[in-house]
Amino acid sequence: MSLSVWVYSESEGVSDEVTSAALDLSMNIPAGPSVIDLGQARNGTHSAGGKLVLKGPPSSEPAPQVAAEAIFRAARELRPAAILIGATRNGREVASRLAAKLKVGCLSEAFKVSSDGQNLFAERNVYAGKVVAKVACPLPSIATVKVGAYPRSGSIPKETRELDVGHIDGQIRVLSRESKAAGSVDLKSAKVIVSAGRGIKKKEDLAMLEDLAKEMHGALGCSRPLSSDLGWLPEEHHIGLTGVTVKPELYIAVGISGQLQHVAGMKDSKIVAAINTDKDAPIFQASDYGIVGDLYQVIPAIRKALANRT
Amino acid sequence: MRLAVCVKHAIDETELRIDSSGKPQVDGAVGMMSTFDKNAVEEALRLRSAISGEVVAITVGGPEARKTLKEALAMGADRGVIVSADILAIDTLRTAELLAAAITKTGPCDVVICSEGSSDTYDGQVPPMLAELLGLPYAGYARKIEVDGGSAKVERSLEDTIEVVETTLPFVASVVSEINEPRYPTLIQIMQSSKKPIEEMNGDQLVQQGTRKQSSVVSMAAQSSSRRHVMIEGSPDEAAARLVEALVKDGVL
Repeated sequence: MSLSVWVYSESEGVSDEVTSAALDLSMNIPAGPSVIDLGQARNGTHSAGGKLVLKGPPSSEPAPQVAAEAIFRAARELRPAAILIGATRNGREVASRLAAKLKVGCLSEAFKVSSDGQNLFAERNVYAGKVVAKVACPLPSIATVKVGAYPRSGSIPKETRELDVGHIDGQIRVLSRESKAAGSVDLKSAKVIVSAGRGIKKKEDLAMLEDLAKEMHGALGCSRPLSSDLGWLPEEHHIGLTGVTVKPELYIAVGISGQLQHVAGMKDSKIVAAINTDKDAPIFQASDYGIVGDLYQVIPAIRKALANRT
Repeated sequence: MRLAVCVKHAIDETELRIDSSGKPQVDGAVGMMSTFDKNAVEEALRLRSAISGEVVAITVGGPEARKTLKEALAMGADRGVIVSADILAIDTLRTAELLAAAITKTGPCDVVICSEGSSDTYDGQVPPMLAELLGLPYAGYARKIEVDGGSAKVERSLEDTIEVVETTLPFVASVVSEINEPRYPTLIQIMQSSKKPIEEMNGDQLVQQGTRKQSSVVSMAAQSSSRRHVMIEGSPDEAAARLVEALVKDGVL
């Protein structure tokens, strides 16, 4: 086993985040991070580490299955101590396949990684964010790093190493790729998020919340029932365990009961305000400010109060 | 057409108790079918009605996991398989090895359906591991599945992209909850489900030479919340004005 940490994500931004996570291991795994490049021509790697270019897979957007096989072949030869992978949907597939190929453990959704030189540790949320667990896995091992948990680090790579892993074929064929709804929301970078829940009586009423979000220069989010069961908003708006994780300056939950699975997606917001008719709604336990009341009265009142300010 | 759907008897996080020292009481906690597995079962049933065939629901767990298996049968699965294992003591790779062996043992399968991750630990590792171990194509995070003869077209929902892929059968898919709305079993279906066969497989015998357990929990603690919990009273106008004032003071507006 060599004392190096490998970093991989199909997304360059996430790859830079995972590089920061890898630096958390550098005290005990001294060789520093090596960022895997599968033909994506990555520049942004930290100066403390290097770049590992794997040649062989034909595409610049390798399927997760192909990426996993390429990294597996390289790992068999170079034997890294740890492989950190961004916990995107495709990243989870790469990490899981790699773990099954290498027969090593895979920690998941780490918001913090560390090592004592023998084990890899991951701190993560479990039970829909109700509990924080620290999980260990003997080196060599794999972990997926939660997207958005680490800042992006970027610099010029110190050294580049190339390795030919040979041709790899995937089993599925991509017919098309399409961006989700053009002009769709960027909840991850929004400073203010107004989020809608079951308390909204009909789809048309969302316009009122969308206006409020606009007036606050923010974005509109929702809880799972609105995007999944009711289909009133596209799924990119869904904040929660299986949706987007956000941490805006201000999160306003409107008519959201506050199921753990929703709270898991917004609990790191700086300030949370909630409006709900039910004084016992769990959302108030996750809020800094609560108003028990009818959103159809409170939201127009908030818009009026905002207008009076300016 | 043979469909397998993997379900997990997961800890119900809403019922999970935290003891006075801040530790969750995982042992003996109340369990339920993992929330998103209902979408997986529904999708298997939907595909069965489109192409006719059999749906086998498979779970790995202790005797309590029968409850989840019975729920899948009540929803409409034809038969169940329970692989005995201490689900809290095994890791994802072992779970995938047990499921892969059970699927192989039950006979050839055309489609294996899982949810994207369990509602308790949400690792999302078992479905791709299963595909890897079975050597089958994998379409993760499916929001639409269309099977046509020997192939299938799957819409995968990624963070910013919808990716449409084509695969041959058999294959493994994981589904996102947008894919369907799970049915609720009727009382009659629940009663009839007790007559459906459940096969038991001993996990230790099923996979004797598996990968040793890798990951282990070092510590668990309840999430601490530092929220202020200020309830703002007054008429809607008064409360709104106070809220806006407080938010301005906090520097977030």
